[in-house]
Amino acid sequence: MSKAKRVGSYIFLSICSIFSAFPLYWMVVSATNKSTDVIAGRLIPGNYLIQNWVALLKAQKVGEAMWNSFKYSILLTLLSLFICSLAGYGFEIYHTKGKDMVMKVVLLAMMVPFAATMIPLFQMFSKAGLLNTALGFILPSISTPFLIMMFRQSARSFPHEMIDAARVDGLNEFQIFLQMFFPTMKSTYAAAMTITFMNAWNAYLWPKIIMTNGKSLTMPMLIANLKAGYVTDYGQMMLGVTLCCLPTIVIFFLLQKNFANGITGAVKG
Amino acid sequence: MKKIAAVLMAGITAVSMCACGGASTASTTSSATASTAASAAASTAASTTASTAASTATGDGSDELTVWCWDPTFNIYAMQEAEKVYQKTDPNFKLNIVETPWADLQTALTTAGTSGDYSTLPDIFLCQDNAFQKNVKNYPDMFTDLTNSGVDFSQFGASKVAYSTVDGKNYGVPFDNGCVIGCYRTDVLQQAGYTIDDFTDITWSDFITKGKDVLAKTGQPLLSVQAGESDLIMIMLQSAGASLFDEKGSATIVDNDALKEVLSTYKELIDSGVMIQINSWDEYIATLTNAQVAGTINGCWILGSIQTAKDQSGKWDITNMPKLDKTSGATNYSNNGGSSWAVSTNSKNAELAEKFLAATFAGDTDFYATILPSSGAIATYTPAAKSDIYNEPQEFFGGDKIFSKIIGYTSKIPKNNTGVYYYEARDAVATALTNVLNGADEDSELKTAQSTVEFAMQGNGTSSS
Amino acid sequence: MADKNARVLKNGYSLEKKEKRTGWIFLMPAVILIAIMSFYPMVRALILSFQTGVGKNMAWTGLSNYIRMFQDKLFIQSLMNTFLYLLIQVPLMLVLALILATMLNNKNLRCKGLFRTLIFLPCATSLVSYAIIFRSLFANDGFVNHVLEAMGLIGTPVAWLTTTWTARLVIIIALIWRWTGYNMVFYLAGLQNIDYSVYEAAAIDGASPWTTFWKITAPLLKPTILLTAIMSTNGTLQLFDESVNLTNGGPANTTLTMSHYIYNLSFQGSPNFGYASALAFVILILVAILAFVQMKVGDTRE
Repeated sequence: MSKAKRVGSYIFLSICSIFSAFPLYWMVVSATNKSTDVIAGRLIPGNYLIQNWVALLKAQKVGEAMWNSFKYSILLTLLSLFICSLAGYGFEIYHTKGKDMVMKVVLLAMMVPFAATMIPLFQMFSKAGLLNTALGFILPSISTPFLIMMFRQSARSFPHEMIDAARVDGLNEFQIFLQMFFPTMKSTYAAAMTITFMNAWNAYLWPKIIMTNGKSLTMPMLIANLKAGYVTDYGQMMLGVTLCCLPTIVIFFLLQKNFANGITGAVKG
Repeated sequence: MKKIAAVLMAGITAVSMCACGGASTASTTSSATASTAASAAASTAASTTASTAASTATGDGSDELTVWCWDPTFNIYAMQEAEKVYQKTDPNFKLNIVETPWADLQTALTTAGTSGDYSTLPDIFLCQDNAFQKNVKNYPDMFTDLTNSGVDFSQFGASKVAYSTVDGKNYGVPFDNGCVIGCYRTDVLQQAGYTIDDFTDITWSDFITKGKDVLAKTGQPLLSVQAGESDLIMIMLQSAGASLFDEKGSATIVDNDALKEVLSTYKELIDSGVMIQINSWDEYIATLTNAQVAGTINGCWILGSIQTAKDQSGKWDITNMPKLDKTSGATNYSNNGGSSWAVSTNSKNAELAEKFLAATFAGDTDFYATILPSSGAIATYTPAAKSDIYNEPQEFFGGDKIFSKIIGYTSKIPKNNTGVYYYEARDAVATALTNVLNGADEDSELKTAQSTVEFAMQGNGTSSS
Repeated sequence: MADKNARVLKNGYSLEKKEKRTGWIFLMPAVILIAIMSFYPMVRALILSFQTGVGKNMAWTGLSNYIRMFQDKLFIQSLMNTFLYLLIQVPLMLVLALILATMLNNKNLRCKGLFRTLIFLPCATSLVSYAIIFRSLFANDGFVNHVLEAMGLIGTPVAWLTTTWTARLVIIIALIWRWTGYNMVFYLAGLQNIDYSVYEAAAIDGASPWTTFWKITAPLLKPTILLTAIMSTNGTLQLFDESVNLTNGGPANTTLTMSHYIYNLSFQGSPNFGYASALAFVILILVAILAFVQMKVGDTRE
């Protein structure tokens, strides 16, 4: 790549990065400011962080919300990745006309707005006695057409020669999936894990409906509570929001090496 | 490779066991340990959240009630104080307060009502006054009739009680006051040569004249409103006892002279610069705390937000709102918002709930005196006005006794008809207003608004009227 | 190998019966979950769409809800708004994400990790914060107006959120801001599966970056591009959060999306679930048609 093009790339990337990051900079800065300063649009950090922190702890059960959010998100992510990657693999590697048809039907499932399906879903869970349970929380989101499709698409680039070789070596199908597909497709799993964790963490509507006894406060619910007061303390709320965003950012940062630069090398074995 | 697989399998198995474990502990009463551990972890300094204390299931003969409401510094705080009051007569009494934003509460009510499954509803919940008609008429068997429950409704402002009265029956115990006040910066008024009395008991035309003067002399508008919201329109309508619906429930958006005068007054306010429009709630609060405008006309709950600007202490005062010039029945009083406590039919302890509400929110003036100072929770309970605290001068407001003023206004608020389709009508009028301000023809916009509302009304075939 | 009881498919790859069955077993847990969690409620919602009424008093009224929506000015407005967003925002965003991913896939670029994280950051923000931030940035005396005035591009402040076309623009900008990083992540992952030697060979053959991109990268990335196209279409047609939190339907319903309207019908106004369900199914039909067109065009197997 010529130098000019490279400089051009850097400039373009820098502009995009600034646009992306600026609103978040504002968010973090607001967490250190007084409420009145925040809505005045102050852009430099203040010295109100401790007060906001104390006010936030007093107003909401932050520890409990973080713990619950982590608990549900991790559980949901692990289960979801396993079940959906297995399915995506199954749809693609063993593809038949029948399976392709089923895939198309499965895709339909994500096309109806949740507002329309949430009440029948609620009724079903209520009758099954799954209200206010962890299972009730995660069950609807474990299997999503989106994740299945993502793994199916990535399995397209998984070489069949590897599978044949593994079969010759005497591995059964499930072992091939675990020992060949999973390590090779690390980048897809990393991307999927980030996205699934993020969606699980930020989930609001369904958890709100299913957890009615107030004992399972999650971070998004905490933020909504902060917003629902008659008087909003914006500094305190921005601190809460910053805390809510942190885990996803950290996970992305940790996982991004896996969909990072370089040759994966796994194809050559 | 095998190791990775083994770890993954172990992880998933362990985690799935947690899921099953989590399911059972969440639904049994051993969640007490979980919640106390969690509250310790949260290290709340002076936390008074009641939900950590209560952990047993509600109802079924015990002395515990579950309450859903929002705002820890206002409604939840009031409930906690009420709990203390009632514990004097019944030491075993306990409240399990679940913090629930109004939007979510409404969603929960609708979900329960539509699915026919009321099992998740609490004993008591707070409901916006504007939503009572809609919810009670659509889901009549979800609300307990409180007419003969021992609550003395005559002790509350008549207009307040009217919100939660459906077909002559009471369904709500009024709580927070939405009485409209005119709130102004006395120092800015002074700069223009006016006092707060110059804005008391006046008409809108007088207000606009004086407002233009203030704008010229100080450069500050008197009011700010959120563009696209119809709050001020509804406030002005109600001040003349007018509504968007008649008693039978038909939409009265066209041929509504009061509404026409309201719209032209609104337009004049904007055109003269006395009132500015901003885009969102946060901006609206900012115009007040950053001293961009010299006042506001809104429900008295706005005082809390105004008081966050500590540097403006002593520079504000309140009075009543201006009245419409031409419409008959015009007054200087109106209402915006407010909510009341309702008892759900899912409650297994409805009697206890009724007794509790009657003894505290509908019967105890000391209780109201206790909650006023730290929360600013102004009552709609008329006897509460007699307590000393309501007559204390408030420093932020230049030593004026604002609380007793507000209680006085509350009793003069005219009633209005909210109706089942209140929110649809509000939105339609807001749309019409936006278009009119952008130059559209007023009559055709009102016609459109009316037909939009009527369209929504006939959509529900077998709906109530 | 030759004595397998095989059915040879188009691409020459053959499957034993046992393998086919394994395939079904692999996908069963996911498919069963979807059948219970999504299809069952969908069917119930479909049944509801043929009824009108409230709560327990629902009555069968056949296609009346579907017919009604053609006279519903609010619905038609929301339909137009949503399609506007779809046609403008989705292509812009996907192209931007693709460009960014390709740039960040370059071995010789430094600070890649930093750029990647910064561009992904918007996805990690919760809805509440991003709505407040954007509303504040685009306020009448907000940051954007200050910058534009300082640069001399505008004379008076632009009322971004209270003018129809600027409000729509803000939503489109917000959507691109929020979701470009998300799609970039997919493309990055997809690009990882393209062996670097392919690029080296192309360089040796003298191909320019532009040609390399169009003739090599894009075709190999087709499965991922199809995935993001379907997901973005689905997401934008079902757009809800931005309409509610940024503009609340915008000046006089000019930024109202279909999902937002459905939500209002169900939970804000007097509930009309039969009609809301009918509208939801119309969205389903629209998304399905578009998705299947996209699949027809782009779903290839090597």
